[in-house]
Amino acid sequence: MPSALLSRPRYLRNVLCGLMVMAVGLLAVLSAEVRREMRLFQEEPVDSIHWNLTQLELDLVLLLSAAQLAQAQDDPPLDELRKRFDLFYSRTDLVRSGAMFERLDLEAAIRPLTARLDGFLRHATPLIDGSDASLRAALPALVEDVQALRMDLRSLSIRTVEQYATQADLRRAELARLLRQVAATSAALLLLLVALLGSVLYLNRQAERKTAEALRVSSRLQATVATALDGVIVAGLDGRVLDFNQAAERIFGFSRDEAIGQGLDRLIIPARHAAAHEAGMARMQETGNKRMVDGGRIQVTAIRKSGEEFPLEMSVTSNSGPDGMIFIAFMRDISEPVANERALLAARDKALAAEQAKTNFLAVMSHEMRTPLNGVIAAIEIVARKAVDPSQAKFIRLAQSSAKQLLRHVNDVLDISKVEAGHLALSDSPFELEPMLASLVDVLRPVAAKKATKIELDIGTGLPLVRGDSFRLGQIVQNLLSNAVKFTAGGKVVLKAVLHPQGAGMALLDLSVTDSGIGIAPEDLERIFEDFVMLDPSYGRTDAGTGLGLPISRRLTEAMGGQIGAESEPGKGSRFWLRLPMPTVERAAPPPAPAEPARTTARDGADDPVLDLLVVEDNATNRTVMEEMLRLLGHRAALAVDGREGVRKARAHRYDAILMDISMPVMDGITATGLIRAEGLSKDSRIIAVTAHTMPEELERFRGAGMDDCLTKPMSIRDLARTLAAVSAPSVPSPPALPEPADAVLDAPRIEELRQALGAEGMRRTVAQFLRDTTATMERLRSAASSPLEARALCHELAGAAAMVGALRLHRHFAGLEARLHDGDDNSVAAAQTDSDRLWADAAAALGGLTEA
Amino acid sequence: MNSLRRSGAALMVAAALFPAAAARADSLPAPQGEVILTVSGAITNTNDDGVARLDMALLDGLPRNSFATSTIWTEGVDTYEGVLLTDLLDALGATGTNVLAKALNDYEITFPVADVTDEGPLLAYRTNGKPMSIREKGPIWMIFPYDDVEAFRTEQTYARSIWQLDRIVVKP
Repeated sequence: MPSALLSRPRYLRNVLCGLMVMAVGLLAVLSAEVRREMRLFQEEPVDSIHWNLTQLELDLVLLLSAAQLAQAQDDPPLDELRKRFDLFYSRTDLVRSGAMFERLDLEAAIRPLTARLDGFLRHATPLIDGSDASLRAALPALVEDVQALRMDLRSLSIRTVEQYATQADLRRAELARLLRQVAATSAALLLLLVALLGSVLYLNRQAERKTAEALRVSSRLQATVATALDGVIVAGLDGRVLDFNQAAERIFGFSRDEAIGQGLDRLIIPARHAAAHEAGMARMQETGNKRMVDGGRIQVTAIRKSGEEFPLEMSVTSNSGPDGMIFIAFMRDISEPVANERALLAARDKALAAEQAKTNFLAVMSHEMRTPLNGVIAAIEIVARKAVDPSQAKFIRLAQSSAKQLLRHVNDVLDISKVEAGHLALSDSPFELEPMLASLVDVLRPVAAKKATKIELDIGTGLPLVRGDSFRLGQIVQNLLSNAVKFTAGGKVVLKAVLHPQGAGMALLDLSVTDSGIGIAPEDLERIFEDFVMLDPSYGRTDAGTGLGLPISRRLTEAMGGQIGAESEPGKGSRFWLRLPMPTVERAAPPPAPAEPARTTARDGADDPVLDLLVVEDNATNRTVMEEMLRLLGHRAALAVDGREGVRKARAHRYDAILMDISMPVMDGITATGLIRAEGLSKDSRIIAVTAHTMPEELERFRGAGMDDCLTKPMSIRDLARTLAAVSAPSVPSPPALPEPADAVLDAPRIEELRQALGAEGMRRTVAQFLRDTTATMERLRSAASSPLEARALCHELAGAAAMVGALRLHRHFAGLEARLHDGDDNSVAAAQTDSDRLWADAAAALGGLTEA
Repeated sequence: MNSLRRSGAALMVAAALFPAAAARADSLPAPQGEVILTVSGAITNTNDDGVARLDMALLDGLPRNSFATSTIWTEGVDTYEGVLLTDLLDALGATGTNVLAKALNDYEITFPVADVTDEGPLLAYRTNGKPMSIREKGPIWMIFPYDDVEAFRTEQTYARSIWQLDRIVVKP
């Protein structure tokens, strides 16, 4: 506000106004005085002094002439004389009463005249009022008196008139002075008026100029706001719209006329946010706290005239206008960017999901392919043993190697997809480096020997025990070694491992595989760790490989937190190195032996209610045994061959309890438990894990998946009864049972229990099925030597089945093999093949003897 | 209203005083005492050859009015009693437009009949209840209520305030 510009004329104007008021006041006073003077002139309170004095003189002359006329006659009539006297008398009355002269301030001047007239009348009146005779006699004296009076009257009149004239002059001068004052005051007032008019004109012109300028600025601003790309809404403190530009019209669908004067809450704020808006406005009016104002860009939900809600980005500023606080909001419809962003996110999620699905598909497919492949391999094995025709034998060997090659590929793809999908579970258990590496070298030695290549193991003795996934580490080293052997002919391959202590129970494993082979071109060195890279296709054909070995090694190394790399000189050889941080373990502390848990006495199950049970178990032998045991305990049992079927049945029917195997094809027990718990009639049923796993962390995992209890294979009928008793009284959790330590071929109490549970015929049937199944499984195990994972699963299955029928020694053998495979001892199956065959034969003979007996 | 009623009253009084006014030319009774006012000119009610000669008795028979006022020629406030000129002109059936009034000393003044109203002038023949001698501006003083009506306090009205009045001529 340019106050200095306005205050000067305003001050001037105030002064002028003050002066004018004073002038008007003065003029009023003067006017009153003039009016009084003028009234004196207008309302002449006196008769003309000249006229009266002249009339007095005239009447006296007429009296004199009447008196002289009477004196000239002998017997004169006296009426005329008396009338003239009376007239003169009445005229003198005006002078003598003094009223008239008193009003003219001529009292003093008239006094000599009055005295003279009084004297005359005192003398003459008795004569006039007397008898005619005495009047006639006095006539001469009367004439003389009147003549004398006439002389005196004249001079006295003249003197009075002179005095009157002087006084009249004074009065006129006074009036003139007053009029001059009035004129002067009026002139001053006029000047003031002119000045005031000037000041008003000046202010008016200034105001006009300011108005014009304001209009110019305002119209420029209006145009700017109107054509702005962003919506602009101006609102007052009461939330009513003061302005609404074209962009806002486009965004909200309201015309400017519709919007102006409306409350924002009714116009563009969705009904469900109206309360919050009102609260915000109220808070601001009360406390002045403007949360949204000047807070930068904010994203809100607004509503169009059509009722459509959309995301809006806006920034709000405030300003104090002439009518109080106003708010200016700049708004941008961001529904399109938001929609784009959403579409982009959806596309990304879809792509990720597709990628995940692909990976999952690969994993599942690989897994699914291995099972029939194992069948193929087993079948070829059997055929190979019986083949006599050499030409057939050649084709069978070809088929055998092809099938094994295919199995390796499938395993490779499975590994890669597992790592990619993040499903790779790395075990963490203590192991010896030296024997593990030695066994890898031993396996490849015959292959290398065929190519006249020597393999050396350069490793120090007394290496500490390390923790980690020995299986995966072995997989990497095996890969590097087989590559080295593959590309070296008549040379040397050296596996070197050094463990650098890093302090605080940590060490860095520095491992290298050096060969004197053909080497790798520098430009290829970078690519060899990428997927599906085969440098020399010709090798790929003769010595088949997917080209996935090194990529898998890289992934596994990285998953374990290590680094892998290669150096090479074409023609001279290559050196592949691996650096892996590994915790070291104190050799002095042997792993603690599992404590023997206290066994509770099995209760007599006769009083227990009949339970409706579901057995989910993939192994047919186990399924039969459990069904028979449950029947013996007086319960009803439904059967499912895998997790998927188990889920289907559990959802369709409410079971009191579900006995769930953990490792199953198609769907494992953990997944099935989760699905059963998710929905269906049995979602609240008791789910009991049936497993050969005895590690505490595993048990914990089962409970986490929603399982209530755990039965450890091989289970006794007592264990089963006790666990099922908890179904009717679930508050008594049963500790997981542990296998009974024994070293007999058969577990006598278990056999007895089975015989009681199944009866002689049931026992025979069960044993026959076990022998059938196990024969097939043993064949598969033999052909699965190159796939530790597969071997491990088969050992698991064999151990479980053996436990079920009480083949104690066989059970312990395969359980031990499974543990070794789990710990990464991949060659254990091959190494223990003889033992396996012998124990299997023993168990089969013993069981066969049982049923024949 | 006031003047109409007053005029109506004046006519009724005139009709009572002068019964055959409408029938004969000399409809006014002849004066019995000394004639103190002679009215001539455009009048219809006369008593001597187109002239109305009025003595004190005839004047007394006309509607009487009075008021108190001061004058510029006298001291103090006096009460003046007499007949309003308008009543006199009505009673005499005056039809003229101007009035000429004349005094004993032959002073005369002419003024329009339109100026003659119910407020004045009054042809006063008694001051404070007493008849006026020539020495006391009698026998008739045409006077105005100067104190009550500001408009009468002018030089023109003072000039019309004729005393020792003895003749009136109503001019057509």
